[in-house]
This record gives sequence, structure tokens and C-alpha cells, in this order.
Amino acid sequence: MAANTNSISIEGVDAGYGLVRVLDNVSLRVNSGETVALLGTNGNGKSTLMKCIMGWARPSKGRIVAEIDGEKHDLAGLSTEQIVDLGIALVPEGRRLFPRQTVEENLLLGASRPKARAHIKTNLDFCFEIFPRLAERKSQLAGSMSGGEQQMLALARALMLNPRILLVDEPSVGLAPLLVSRTIDAIKQLKDHFNLTVLMAEQNFTQALRIADRGYVIVHGKIEFEGNSADELNNNDLIRQFYLGM
Amino acid sequence: MQFDLLINAIIAGLMLGAFYAAVTSGISISFGMLDIVNIAHPGFIILGSYIAYIVNVQLGADPIVIAIVALPAFYALGSIIYEIYYRSFEKHGQDSLRGLAFFFGLLFVTEVVLNMVFGVDYRSVNVPYIGGSLTIGWMEFPIRMLVPAVVSILMFGGLQIYLSRTFIGRAVMAVSQDPQALQLMAVDPIRIKRIAFSISLATASMAGAFLIIIQPVIPSSGREYIGRVFAICVLGGLGSLPGTLIAALLIGVIESITSTFYGPSWAPAVSFGLLLLTLAVRPSGLLGR
Repeated sequence: MAANTNSISIEGVDAGYGLVRVLDNVSLRVNSGETVALLGTNGNGKSTLMKCIMGWARPSKGRIVAEIDGEKHDLAGLSTEQIVDLGIALVPEGRRLFPRQTVEENLLLGASRPKARAHIKTNLDFCFEIFPRLAERKSQLAGSMSGGEQQMLALARALMLNPRILLVDEPSVGLAPLLVSRTIDAIKQLKDHFNLTVLMAEQNFTQALRIADRGYVIVHGKIEFEGNSADELNNNDLIRQFYLGM
Repeated sequence: MQFDLLINAIIAGLMLGAFYAAVTSGISISFGMLDIVNIAHPGFIILGSYIAYIVNVQLGADPIVIAIVALPAFYALGSIIYEIYYRSFEKHGQDSLRGLAFFFGLLFVTEVVLNMVFGVDYRSVNVPYIGGSLTIGWMEFPIRMLVPAVVSILMFGGLQIYLSRTFIGRAVMAVSQDPQALQLMAVDPIRIKRIAFSISLATASMAGAFLIIIQPVIPSSGREYIGRVFAICVLGGLGSLPGTLIAALLIGVIESITSTFYGPSWAPAVSFGLLLLTLAVRPSGLLGR
């Protein structure tokens, strides 16, 4: 196994809150260097799956294994901080910036872990290069920026962690269509530059499939369809039924 | 109103304000940045005063030097208190009211212990500069006020640089905004709060030394400061050390002018009146979040 493979595999995961079961025997794999889309409308378990990977929710059954630089880690029992420190970054739903701190402070907070500090200069330069808006506004409070700018900052902040695997939860929520497409483009750019492995939960099916290599459709906590290419997903009956109403 | 009297009142007020700033800095961190209502803080300041007193009497050392040597002990005490507070209250989301009761209890315990050990007599330190004065023209700077003021400003500068320029400092500023998001930065929010709370308690060591240089102390001296420190903290704006400093200087100057021209009993009324007025216009305080 090569030393630079980074993948994530979810094997038969059940999870829920109290008596409510949200995920039902979910299995999913993101291979090294792939961009995988997790498609589903609201309330089908996409965010819960992200929370399980990050250790915010604990699966009642199944395993989540991340491979970072060729080394396998079972994520069960690790704290969120430890999981992030392995090299898994999440851009959370709703962005979760630190609104009362400046753009620059938010970015530097992303670089808090010792492994990321060594790359602060190059990562910061790169973030400012692909998001020139952030460079212009670096001393502005994060909370005072527009939704699109905040999404860019959330992405850039995750990159400052110097991750191997990038999870993105609903990047399109609350953004105008033009900004959605820019955000999706930015994810692709970052992925290529840092050679990331990406898992993206999204309900905007057309936009997500522009950059995804493969995808899964999740319905009521179950993976109902696995598409091995964007084409396969595009022509799938389930998707037509759920998204396009045909 | 004589001009030289006014200038001297302002000078005295600035020095008093700088001392208030030191007394408030701990609250500004624990209450302003961590949402921990550490009402016992003035009690720990008095503990700092007594430590400075006992070592000063035994060894003749300077109270400020003693306070600096005692910083690690206060830091460790802060870590222990936070750990107890976290496990008993914060973890279960019962921090607001029960936490307040916890710190109220700590205040009493500290006071009672000091009472039993030292009694209720006034205690003071022996330092050569206590009676001295620096005079420039008709401006007068009593050294017992000037030294704490200068060291306090230095401490404030150090704290502000630490909070705004280091990774841990930035995390301290972030932790009350969104602790979960901090986890996504690979930072443990509980560890950050423990560090910040320990720092806030360590400031009590310094403030205690300043207090006993400025005036003699009894175990219940801390009580006079409870209202004032929270007032300064809120006036300056929660979560802002520069705001706290400005508010402390403002209150110091106003109290000093009021007591010079109208008598000391008016001072608290005027400063709390100013607090209410400011909050009516700016509910978040001078530089608040």
C-alpha cells in the first residue's frame, strides 16, 4: 500500500439519537484521491453520517476506518480533536465560523494543530490566491461578511488544517445559484491542489455531480443507490423520482 | 475647581484605574470570555494579598516579586477549580445558577479560612517605597500607587499580546463563540477553557500584591470589589481586554475626581450611574462583543 493513500470506509453503520434511528446499515467508501458525493434531500441522514465520522455522534453498530498516509485508523473511541488531528477536516453545515474574530484569525485558528503550523505561510498564500476576497477582507470580522464569502472562509479555514481528507457538509445551503457553482468549483480546485480525498454531502444534485467521481444516494438513512460514475447517477430512476419528479 | 487639583485628581484616578484593571482582568477573562461567573475572584485576590503579606513579613521580599513567584501556584489552583467546576456543573449544562452558587461558596470558604488563619485585623506590607512620592512640578505620583499601576499595565499588555498573537490565545477568544467548531480545528475546548481560567486566576496573585501595597487588607476586603469589577467588566464590554482597561481607567478617574471635589461617598454612585448610562446607549459596553 502506498504511503500517500488516504481513504475512508464506512462499514455497516447504524446510528441515531435516543430511540430514533437515523442511519440504517450504511456502508460507503471513498477511495484515495476520489471525490464522492453523498446525495439526499433534507432529513435523510447525511449530516448524521458526517457527525459519525467526526466523532460527534457514535454509531451503535459498524465501523468507520480512515486511512491516512497509508496507515489505518479505526475512528471508534477517538475524540473529535483526535480525528481532526489525523488529517480529516470537516466544513460543517452552516459554516460554523468564529463570527467575532477576523478573517485572518479564523484562518490561523485552522492552523492550530502542530502539523499544520509548519505550513501556515504556504497554505495562507494559497488560500488568498484562490480566494482573493479573503485577502482583501482579512482584518474584517468573519460575522460581517456575506454568505458566499463566509463559505469561502469556511473552506479556506479547513484547508489551513493541512488535511488529507476533506468532508464538506451541504456547501450550497443558503447560497445563491451562482455562488453555489463557484463554491463547488473551489472545492474542485482545492482538491486538485492538495491532492485531497473528498466526501461531499449535498442536496444540489446537478452541482455536486459536476465534480464528483462517484456518488451514493441516501434515502431515510439507507444507501439506496450507488453510482459508479456521474452518468450512472444522472440516469438513475431513483434520482429522477426524488429530485426531478419524473 | 482649581486646575492643579483637577490634574492631580486625574493622575490619581488613572493610577487607581490601572489597579482596577488588574483586579478586573481575571473576571474579564473568566466571565467575559469563558462565561464562567467566577464571583469568588476577589476572594482569591485577597488570598494573593495575604500570601504577599506573610512572605513579606518573613523574608522582607517585595510583594510584586512574591506575586510573580506565586503565579504557578495560582495557575495550578485555577486548573483544579476549573476541573471541579467542569465535572460538577459545566459538563451537565448546569453552569449558570449552580455554578454561581459554587463560586459564591468558594468566596466564603476562602474568606473564612483567611479569617481563621490571620484573624480580622488589618494587615499591611513593609516596602521602602510605600511612603514615597514622585513629584514633577505640582504633579504628584505616590509611589505606592505608581508601582502597581505600571506593573498592571505591563501585565495587561502581556495578556493582550498572548490572547491575540498565540494559537492558544486565539482559541481562548473563540471558545465561547462555538466550542464545537473549535474541535474541528483539532483543539480541545475544555483544555482551552482550563488554561484560560487558570490564567484568570493567576492574575489574582498580581492583583492581590497590588492591593496590599495600596492599602491594608482584611479577609473580607474582597467584597468591596465584587460589584465594581463586574461593573467595569460589563462597562468595557464582555470579552474585550482593551475595553476592560479603558473602562477601569474611566471609572478610576471619575471616582477620583468625584471624591476630590464632592467627597468619597459620592464616588460609587457616580461610577455606577455612568455604567447605567453607558449600557442604556451601548448595551454591549464600550468595546463589547
